[in-house]
Amino acid sequence: MQDDDLDRLLAAAARTAPQPSEDLMQRVLDDALALQPKAAALRPVGLAPRVGLLARFAAALGGAPALAGLGAAAVFGMALGYLSPTTLDYLTGTAADAAEFFPDAEFLSTEG
Amino acid sequence: MAFDAAGEASDEALMVLYANGDRHAALALTRRITPRVLAYAARLLSGDRAEAEDVAQETMLRLWKIAPEWRQGETKVTTWAYRVATNLCIDRQRSRHRKPQMTLEDAPEPTDGAPGAEDRLQDSGRMAALQAALSELPDRQRQAVVLRHLEGMTNPEIAAIMEIGTEAVESLTARGKRALAANLSGRKAALGYEDDGHAG
Repeated sequence: MQDDDLDRLLAAAARTAPQPSEDLMQRVLDDALALQPKAAALRPVGLAPRVGLLARFAAALGGAPALAGLGAAAVFGMALGYLSPTTLDYLTGTAADAAEFFPDAEFLSTEG
Repeated sequence: MAFDAAGEASDEALMVLYANGDRHAALALTRRITPRVLAYAARLLSGDRAEAEDVAQETMLRLWKIAPEWRQGETKVTTWAYRVATNLCIDRQRSRHRKPQMTLEDAPEPTDGAPGAEDRLQDSGRMAALQAALSELPDRQRQAVVLRHLEGMTNPEIAAIMEIGTEAVESLTARGKRALAANLSGRKAALGYEDDGHAG
């Protein structure tokens, strides 16, 4: 047999490859789906929680400890402002003397 | 993922998609790889269709199992599949100690008397003669000839499948083709070349 004849025969055979039956294709696909790993559930990854305005303000002041001190100071300041001098003397056990900051300024309120 | 996209993706990308649970990838790989493995196995197994289907299904089964550990860039999917199919065919040939080889009587015969029936009969006879001649080749020569001349693979691809050097592939295909021509020379009548006026 000559090379040309053999080449023609091989080329013809290459064009007439056995084709898989529908049954085989279905069996292979069934195997594929049975053995296929399940897709992992989708979930957000690496997203930082949103920070609110108040939280950012508190962080700017120094966080919770600083806020506690600030709050206590504010309450104490309010109390000082509202309490009468007598009550304050009672609470502190001292006598509040009147102090004159401008003893020479009396003439400003004098008529005539 | 749309099926069109699966149709354009490489085999290796489809393996990753399959391992990630993409059903379209499973279908695309089935359609791409199974026909090639079946044809190859049928030619190595002397045209035994039932055994070739078993080999094709087993090869694909192993492909699905290895998909989660598939490492891209190391081996092509087709190379891996041909290699597995080759080994499965060798195992089957050893276990059955070679079934009686295909003869002209095994070739399907056209049953109608329509014009062209005679040509189809002669084509079937030629294919049967070729298959019988292939079956007489040593295993490695048969693998190399089938991969090169029937599956249309390049020598480097064949070298990767057979895990040998390209020079060894060239040697195997050359010797295999010479032996094939010699085997077929005794079947000139079956091939119909004398009737066609071809020199033998």
